[in-house]
Amino acid sequence: MTADETAMSDDAPADKPPMRQHIGPIDGKPVTTHPDLDKLTPHQRALRQAVIREFKAKKMRKFVERQVEHINMRIQVGEGIRFLFDEHGRPPANAPLEDIVWQRQQIEYQIKWFEAVLIELQGTLVRIKEIEDQALDYLSEGQAVE
Amino acid sequence: MAAPLFLLAPPRSYTSLINAMLGQHPQAFGLPELCLFNVPVLKDLWIRSSDEMSNDSKTRQGLLRAVAEVYGGEQTAATIKMAQHWAAARQELSTSLVYQEIVERIHPLVAVEKSPSYTISLDRMKAMREAFPDARFLHLIRHPVGQCKSVMALNEGAFALYVNAIEFQEGRAIIEPQYAWHDLNINILNFLADVPPEQQMRVRGEDIMENPRQYLATICRWAGLRDDDAAVEEMMHPERSPFACFGPINALFGNDPNFLSGPTFRPHKVKFPSLTKPVPWRDDHQGLKPAVIALAHELGYT
Repeated sequence: MTADETAMSDDAPADKPPMRQHIGPIDGKPVTTHPDLDKLTPHQRALRQAVIREFKAKKMRKFVERQVEHINMRIQVGEGIRFLFDEHGRPPANAPLEDIVWQRQQIEYQIKWFEAVLIELQGTLVRIKEIEDQALDYLSEGQAVE
Repeated sequence: MAAPLFLLAPPRSYTSLINAMLGQHPQAFGLPELCLFNVPVLKDLWIRSSDEMSNDSKTRQGLLRAVAEVYGGEQTAATIKMAQHWAAARQELSTSLVYQEIVERIHPLVAVEKSPSYTISLDRMKAMREAFPDARFLHLIRHPVGQCKSVMALNEGAFALYVNAIEFQEGRAIIEPQYAWHDLNINILNFLADVPPEQQMRVRGEDIMENPRQYLATICRWAGLRDDDAAVEEMMHPERSPFACFGPINALFGNDPNFLSGPTFRPHKVKFPSLTKPVPWRDDHQGLKPAVIALAHELGYT
C-alpha cells in the first residue's frame, strides 16, 4: 500500500470498500520525484537504471538525428543566416543550432509582420484613394455647375 | 465561482481532443494542461526534483499559455513573459489558490481541464477536490491495448517510464505500459469512491469518437450545460480553441504535441483489439496481465 492509500484509508469510514491495489512492481511517486524503491532487490534496481539509461540514450540518438537532419535538409536556413558567420564562413565558437534556428524564426516572424502591415497599408491606401477620387469628382461637379 | 469540470484519465486516452471539445461549449472554457495539482505550492513547478529523467519544463507551459490568454487576451512571446511575472508574483501561494484565481477570472464560464499527471497520485486528485468541492469529474477510459500502443509510440514510451511501469525479467527490465494503464485507472477509481455519484461520470473515449454528438450532449446534461444543437456543433470544432495549436516560442506546448499539430476532429469508428492476444509492444509474445483484462472487462471492454 502506498503512502497515498494509507492516508486515504485512515480517513475512510468503516463500511467503505477497501482501496484497490496496484499491480506495478514499483509503488509510489513518479521517477522525477523519488519513487519508493525499497521493495526492489539491488539487481532489480540496477536493471531499472539500465532501462532509464537506455531510454536516455535512445532519446539522445533521436535528438542528434534530428539535428543532423536540420543541418542536411535546411540548407536555405544557412543561406538566410549568413550574417551570423564571420568573414571566413565559420560560425561563432560554441553557437548552438537552437540559436540559429531561433534567428531564422524571428526573421520569418518579422517578414510575416511586415507582409501583414503592407497588406493593411495597401488596403487603407485603396480606401483613401476612393475617398479622394469621390471628393475630387464632387468638387469638379460643383465647379462645372458654377 | 463556476465549479470546474476535470477529465481524469491516463495519458493517450483522447483527453486532449475531448478536453478541447468540451472546452468549446459556449458556457465552458477549455484550459491547456495546467499541472497545478502536481505540486502543493506554485514555485515547486519550477523546481527540478530529480535527475533520473530529463527536465520537466514543459509542465509549466500550459499554465503560462493559459495565463497569457486569460489575462493578456492573446498568446505571444510578450504575454508569456507577462505570465511568467504573474506566476513569480504568486510563487509562494498554494496551487489551489492559484487555480481558484484562474477559475474566478474565467467565471461564469466553466473551466474544463485535464492533466493526465493528476492521476498518478491520489494526493493530487484529493487536492483538486479540496480546492473545488463541487467540481465534476469525468473518468475517460480507453481500451488498454490502444492506450498502451499510443503511449509507447510517443517519445519512446517516456510516460510509462516516468511512472515506473517497468517489468523485471531474468537479466533485463522492460517498459511495460499496461501497469500504468491499470494502476492509474485504479487510482482514479479509488479517488472516485469518495466522490458523490452525481459529480462523476465515466465515458469510453472510443464511444465519443464514434457518436460524438450523442455522447457530448449526454456529458453536457450531466455537467449542467446546454445540450442544444448549436452548443454541440461548437464542440465538434476543437481546432477553434486558442490552445489547439503550438504556442509562442517561449511556451510551445501545454498539451499533447500530436493534438497541437492536428487538432481537427473527424468522427470515426475505433476498432477494439483483442484483450487476449499478444501485445505489439512486447517482443516475447506475452499479452495483457489477468488484472488488466479483468479491469478492462469491468470498464466495459470485451
